[in-house]
Amino acid sequence: MKQVGRDIPRLEVRAKVTGRADYTHHLRLPGMLYGKVFRSTVPHGRILSIDTTAAQALAGVHRVITGEDIRKLIPEPYYGPAFHDQPILALDKVRHVGEPVAVVLASDPHIAEQAVQLIAAEYEELPAVYDELEAMQPDILVHDVLKPAGTFADLKHLKGRGGTNIALDYHLRRGDADKAFAGADHVIEHTFKTQQCLHLPFEPFVSVAEPGDKSLTIYTANQSPSFVRIEIARLFGWPENRVRVKVAYLGGGFGAKLYIKLEALVAALAMIVRRPVKIALTMEEQFYMITKHATTFRIKSGVSKDGRVVARACEVFWNGGAYADIGPRVAQKSGFTAAGPYDIEHVSIDSYEIYTNRTPAGALRGFGVPQLVWAYECHTDLIARELGIDPVAFRRKNLLRNGRPQATGTVLQDAAIAQVLDAVVARMGWNAPFDRGSGTMRRGRGIAIGFKAVISPTTSVAMVNISADGSTTIYCSTVDVGQGSGTAFALIAAEVLDIEAEAIRVVNPDTDITPYDMGTLGSRSLFHMGNAVRLAAEDARGKLRALAAEAGLPEGTNYPPAEIFKKRYGMQAGNVIGTASYVPTYNAPDAKTGQSDNVTPFWMVGGSGVEVEVDTETGKVRVLRLINAADCGKPINPGVARTQLSGAAIMQLGFTLSEAMQLDGGQVTNASLADYKIPGIGDIPPMENELVDAEQHSGPFGAKGLGESGTFGVSPAIANAIHDAVGVRIMELPITAEAVLRALRANAGRPLDDE
Amino acid sequence: MIPFEMVEPTSLAEAVAMLDPQDPTVRAVAGGTALMLMMKAGVFQPTRLICLHKIETEHARIAVTGGDELRIGAMATLSDVEKDANVASRLPVLTRALRTLSNPRVRNVARVGGALAHGDPHMDLPPVLAALGARVAIAGPAGSRELPLERLYAGYYETVLEKNELITAVTVPALDGRRAAYMKVTSRSADDWPALGVAVSFALVDGAIRDPIIVVSAATEKVTRMTAAEDVLQGAMPDDTALARAGEAAAAAASILADAHGSASYKRELLRVYLRRAVRQALVDGAAQVRQ
Repeated sequence: MKQVGRDIPRLEVRAKVTGRADYTHHLRLPGMLYGKVFRSTVPHGRILSIDTTAAQALAGVHRVITGEDIRKLIPEPYYGPAFHDQPILALDKVRHVGEPVAVVLASDPHIAEQAVQLIAAEYEELPAVYDELEAMQPDILVHDVLKPAGTFADLKHLKGRGGTNIALDYHLRRGDADKAFAGADHVIEHTFKTQQCLHLPFEPFVSVAEPGDKSLTIYTANQSPSFVRIEIARLFGWPENRVRVKVAYLGGGFGAKLYIKLEALVAALAMIVRRPVKIALTMEEQFYMITKHATTFRIKSGVSKDGRVVARACEVFWNGGAYADIGPRVAQKSGFTAAGPYDIEHVSIDSYEIYTNRTPAGALRGFGVPQLVWAYECHTDLIARELGIDPVAFRRKNLLRNGRPQATGTVLQDAAIAQVLDAVVARMGWNAPFDRGSGTMRRGRGIAIGFKAVISPTTSVAMVNISADGSTTIYCSTVDVGQGSGTAFALIAAEVLDIEAEAIRVVNPDTDITPYDMGTLGSRSLFHMGNAVRLAAEDARGKLRALAAEAGLPEGTNYPPAEIFKKRYGMQAGNVIGTASYVPTYNAPDAKTGQSDNVTPFWMVGGSGVEVEVDTETGKVRVLRLINAADCGKPINPGVARTQLSGAAIMQLGFTLSEAMQLDGGQVTNASLADYKIPGIGDIPPMENELVDAEQHSGPFGAKGLGESGTFGVSPAIANAIHDAVGVRIMELPITAEAVLRALRANAGRPLDDE
Repeated sequence: MIPFEMVEPTSLAEAVAMLDPQDPTVRAVAGGTALMLMMKAGVFQPTRLICLHKIETEHARIAVTGGDELRIGAMATLSDVEKDANVASRLPVLTRALRTLSNPRVRNVARVGGALAHGDPHMDLPPVLAALGARVAIAGPAGSRELPLERLYAGYYETVLEKNELITAVTVPALDGRRAAYMKVTSRSADDWPALGVAVSFALVDGAIRDPIIVVSAATEKVTRMTAAEDVLQGAMPDDTALARAGEAAAAAASILADAHGSASYKRELLRVYLRRAVRQALVDGAAQVRQ
């Protein structure tokens, strides 16, 4: 191959570093109003009144809009990808602190900001529920009735269900776990927890809506423009072709900017005032938009004397916050692999998406899988310890291998689980002597591996245009959030057309121009859109050959495209447009047992190995070495692929050691980057990132997605390494220095006070 | 951010005259690194800012005085201090502390006066300078006064400065063979505000500690001297037993607050450990100094 596998810089990188790249934040339209959101200060309450008089009276304020104004425009102003449960502005009730209640519109953003402080809302406060286990009981209800959107066939059965906070319950039954537990030599059970944290892209949410004649254009930082178009059209009762959604480059997304966020709000506001409206959130406001689920995971394994896991039961409780967003699909789709990458005959999985009075939770780089790997890989390590088996040997003994059925019943194919484990172990020098430190500084090692089924079935459509001079353009609605998707598609099309990837232009998403795509999510783009681009390029190549034949050129001619066009049309004229759509096959799992012979078109595999040093006097953990390995099939652009691996691992490092949204009575108490600590440059350990030698036979030139795989193993590998170093086990993220010291002191019989 | 007025006095007297002792929305701004964050967060909404840039030159000097003390003008940037040769040779502990303070972009802009007047207990300069026995010079409408730095702080984000007073300089006596160290303990990310700061200085006479100054920051509501721990160390050999006793004394005396950096009991534990480590660090650094 001449193009695929080349290590090239991202095509847009020069424009980005020289400040020429387009971002929605830069956009200013004539007559544009700035919106500033007035937010709920109570976690759960009935709206008694919203007094906007003083705000409306402030000089320079164009208008103040509340949920009731929007209800006049859209009778059912509720949106969401999985459930239509989220009001564009709060109606009747508020369900979490920070929920949008009103918006001030002004030509001057400073005036809008000032006016927001003049709005006064009165609420009848209702009891609130924050904990996912407490919310399993129907004592406090966040919503009266479930409102599945109908977009996803597997959520339709929930329609009309009421009296519960459980937005979705997913079940998988394989074999007979109960019976197998009864016959097992050891039954080992643990409960693990993860914290609520968030994406924090450095470009916060921003959307602009511009009303036209019975039409709307939305400029937005969003990962799924096609979905935005469909959802806005649905809200207004319009055909899709009256809504145009344009997306520039994104300053990060990580799943935050998925489906629909500010778009419904700016669209409704623009339609009410008939002027362009822009809303740009601050970094701090991101804490009230979308987060990563806090979870509780009860996991139980039955193990034979010789170290075979014969049965596993998983109960996962997902704290979904006040609105469903894509949470029900996270609970379900990640549920497929909750038992881990092991060959276990008897499996039961129950996974619950639960409403609470917190900021909503959605998908964050892993679609729920990092929370699961955290639990099952800590659990796996603890079993190995209890049985006195080396953790690597224990994993190898139980590893799920290609050709064997996974818990859903789907037979594993092209999943390099063993190779990823081997790569991590080899780089760690697992069997070589290891310096365990001395005195108050102790060292330890840990590993962890995880896997994920890509979300299915999803559709991607692509167009490849060859202009009369032979220059080539790709049209697709995949959003380049920084992952290098455009460059990868250019390499794929270039391979098919036998041209240089750098000469290809990739058009940013614009639903008037670029065709449908499900969304840039869950590491699906390289496989799905990559396949569509490959097919569209082949289609274009075929059409070019046909054109050559029409021009009377012999078959197999190597005339350059420009010559072919000229011969056919007599001048530099015409073009050929190759098109293709790609949707993999899929068989929906059985609703009761979760069994299906085809739940996913590909598996992602990731693993990490870490060495840590623990200060036994302070609990401070320093990661001395972080090794990440993944199976991405055959890498299209290896350098960028490795940075996806390291970027994901660094992100997960933050979720492991320092990031946590802190809540007090429903209020987020650390809603800023000063108080919510993401890793800084001083926290990045020495890293090694390896792409194992593998191939995804159904992928474009053997490739598959990689954006999330680097997150899988990091958290449990660190917990396992800490256990190895100092003999204590942390069951809950984040693993703060204080948590480690408390565990050490409790272990030593000298517990720290609670104060 | 809501618009406000910005004025630029050209002399210290003019600046002081522009300050309004009654109006908390009128404030002086030097580097603005702290104030701008408060303004962006909506915690502080000024009506008028008195920008001190035009009186910078004469108040930004760093010089050794006739009394062999180091005088740092309040308008010196933190980078100026970090890179100053006199500071490096006379007060290496200060140079080292500055290298870990925030980041170069902030240090290039933030001013010494602002860093002292802000009153945030998490800042690095106040504990280090307090342990070095520094004094601050303050100008007001009635003239100027001088205070030991440790007495500048009245509480959480509170100083004894009147609203129409400005810090003009900080004066640091020569180390004169005293050993000094500052340890900043972050409990979350490396670039976090500290959970605890411990600064120490002491003389060493025949291997025994003499006249120690021990200052705690970040974990307490204000920069605080740990006199009970100083008493324990006065005349003591810096061995494990004495340092443990000093740590206990500090932990018992300090009024420690719980916050997002950790619980009070955790920070108290950190204080026990880091008081010992700070003294040890001072001994090591001091020894290195002597060898040079």
